[in-house]
Amino acid sequence: MNNPKATTHAPHIHTKNSVRNVMLHVLLALIPAIIAYVYFFGFGIVLQITLSVFFALLFEIISLKLLKKPVGLFISDLSAVVTGILFALCISPLAPWWISLIAMFFAIVVAKHLYGGLGQNIFNPAMVGFAVVLISFPQSMSMWLAPHSIALYDMSFSEVLSAVFTQSFPANVEFDTLTQATPLDSIKNGLRQELTMTEISAQPEFGKLGGLAWEWISSLYILGGVFLILKNIISWRVPTTVIIATVLFALPFYLYNPDGYISPLQHLFTGGLLLGAFFIATDPTSGCSSPKGQIIFAIGVAVMTVLIREFGNFPDGVAFGVLLMNLSAPLIDRLTIPKAYGQI
Amino acid sequence: MVGQTQTLYQFHGGVVLEHHKSDSLENGLSELPLAEKLYISLEVGKGNYALPVVNIGEAVKKGQIIAEPQNKSGVYVHATSSGTVSYISERITANPTAKAIPAIEITTDGKDEWLQSKNTEKKNSLTPSEIITQIRQAGLLGMGGAGFPTHLKYNEKNQIHTLIVNGAECEPYISCDAQLMLSFPEQLFDGIDLMMKASNAKQAIIAIEDQTGKIEHKLNEIITQRKLASVSVVKVPTIYPTGGEKQLIRVLTGKDVPSGGLPLNLSIIVQNIGTIKALADYCNESKPLVQRIVTVAGDRISKPQNFIIPIGTPINHILQAVNCNIQDSDEVIIGGPMMGYSVTELSAGIEKTTNCILVMSKKPKPQSPTMPCIRCGECVSVCPAELLPQQLHWYINGGNLEKAREHHLFDCIECGACSWVCPSQINLVQYYQYAKAELKYLDYKKNKSDAAKLRHENREARLEQLKQERMNKRKRTRSTTARDPEKIKMEIQASVERAKLAKQQKEKGDE
Repeated sequence: MNNPKATTHAPHIHTKNSVRNVMLHVLLALIPAIIAYVYFFGFGIVLQITLSVFFALLFEIISLKLLKKPVGLFISDLSAVVTGILFALCISPLAPWWISLIAMFFAIVVAKHLYGGLGQNIFNPAMVGFAVVLISFPQSMSMWLAPHSIALYDMSFSEVLSAVFTQSFPANVEFDTLTQATPLDSIKNGLRQELTMTEISAQPEFGKLGGLAWEWISSLYILGGVFLILKNIISWRVPTTVIIATVLFALPFYLYNPDGYISPLQHLFTGGLLLGAFFIATDPTSGCSSPKGQIIFAIGVAVMTVLIREFGNFPDGVAFGVLLMNLSAPLIDRLTIPKAYGQI
Repeated sequence: MVGQTQTLYQFHGGVVLEHHKSDSLENGLSELPLAEKLYISLEVGKGNYALPVVNIGEAVKKGQIIAEPQNKSGVYVHATSSGTVSYISERITANPTAKAIPAIEITTDGKDEWLQSKNTEKKNSLTPSEIITQIRQAGLLGMGGAGFPTHLKYNEKNQIHTLIVNGAECEPYISCDAQLMLSFPEQLFDGIDLMMKASNAKQAIIAIEDQTGKIEHKLNEIITQRKLASVSVVKVPTIYPTGGEKQLIRVLTGKDVPSGGLPLNLSIIVQNIGTIKALADYCNESKPLVQRIVTVAGDRISKPQNFIIPIGTPINHILQAVNCNIQDSDEVIIGGPMMGYSVTELSAGIEKTTNCILVMSKKPKPQSPTMPCIRCGECVSVCPAELLPQQLHWYINGGNLEKAREHHLFDCIECGACSWVCPSQINLVQYYQYAKAELKYLDYKKNKSDAAKLRHENREARLEQLKQERMNKRKRTRSTTARDPEKIKMEIQASVERAKLAKQQKEKGDE
């Protein structure tokens, strides 16, 4: 009888799970929110997603080629696509095309491949890209569209297209009627002008829970996030803790002076908090690995976000909160090694 | 006890696997034609070998002692069929290390004759220490897979409360224990009785993983029949690795075996079904452990089944008997698909621990290759030892083995759940086994060099002390001379006189 030649190390069976499958689930979970985005703000977001995914893949291919890593294998894991889409969801649909070019360079080349590629990055690549352009090009990053329902002038897709590629806006319309501040911008500016929160919230860009339209998109992030939790792609700890910690931390300020501070509900349903809670702070590569560490990480993100929103210079603080906690994650992990079975 | 409901506890993690047991169970138990040669391993516990007591060419009977243990932790080794001893040498057996170890080759005569024992009558009233002796004489090693010498678990001084009878084979395909419970329930209960006596346990819990309820029914019938008040049957959930000793204890008692400790620390003994039945066979019929039930299954086996096979039967003999023709692309695995190991030397004889032979086809499949770890944490959620597998991998990959130890590497039970679930297809267990072996070696080296250093330092200190003593002595003499010149004169005077005296005496003697 022949001796067999095949030998493998135990276990000899395996699930069909793959990195691509994990990324695919994340993409699926984002679809409802993207549809709502299109519904409220038009196809500008699709254009931004196309641009940033294109640049993300371009830089991914270049990096892989330069590093002599298998291109096909790592392109098909879809991680660059996820980075591109998450970044696009953070920027204005009117942002010029080179914004995503620069952001994706920093995200894919600097934050990801210079640190060792997939799974080795200390910082969340999408947030690195976002932070770079947010700090470097504040003007381009603050030109937002108003939702269709309250827009003074509804830009057509071709007008958005020319705005993105040539920075030329419709000539016969005044610039200020084209774009609008985000709800968080309005709050920041309003409070600086010594308006009360009640007055600010009465402005048309605010809805019942948070920003008009944004509250819907945020709710759909929750939907997608719950799907990911049920599919065991992300842990429930991070998003739940971010939400609870945000509410608990914002509440004392709000109770102390409801007119001077953002309400906990507005914290949740404006800006990128829920996107961050479910899709960005949950990034396992740059987050904490121990269960206790994940909770500390999430509390840190929530506290930083609230502090930056209330007292900082930037209207939103999710990206900075996440990056700061990314930096602390290895230390938190080291201090929160869980007990193994049988350890007292 | 029948009908009593037991509260079950949960262990962390675990995975639900496809079972693949029903086929082999439905096909029942049968025997195989006897092999021409049997290769009986002399390993009786990890790295412990028994000494042969037979010579080449000697005729042996089935059940005859062919090797005796060299120390108290070893057990006896028996001929597993009748014939002649044809070779005693080192050879490869179905052992995970795949190293050549001492073995006895028996050329069978086909008669399969038992040794006529002097006292074949049933041994009824044995004292605990007598039973423990019987366990050792029967050649019992843990038949669940670890091969730990059974008698070492028993000591009259130990206060044992519960005997857990482990019938929960949680690995897919393996059904030898289920088959045993279906075919030999009476012997099993005899064995449980003996084991309880040996350990002085107050109760015995038979843990089973039973989809059909057939086994539970059968066992409960006997419990009612024999009016056993202290034995109960508990169905445990089919989550891999429930059958692991530590996990099973948690499920049944809610308690944890202390890290680095034994079930004994909780006054518990866990014993495999097969081992218990083997003891009953020895005490009832004077038949030592010479054969065992082996599941032969896998996708290359047309009719998966359980067989009673003499220990030492070569694997290729078994595969031939079930009409399995091995291709190059096939893999032969000893044990289950989660923790079993591949063998390439099919002439190796099976051991007391060989519970299953799997033949799997490894035709090149479009499988996704290993990707880097993305730290998704799926491994954390399935780890029954409550570790952070991704962190262990991270540190081991970076060569930082001490950090892996800090992350409780040595609490890993190597069940493979993390490797099974990993979306990046990383075989994490392999990293842990490597790191454990490496750390053990480094520790060994460190201890050795520490001991050498200590020895050297002690020697230096000793030499220094001797030198000091010598110096002191010299100093003392010198100081006395320095202090009292009169005394020196007297001493010189005295010695001169002594010499004179001696001279005179010598002269006298000469005369």
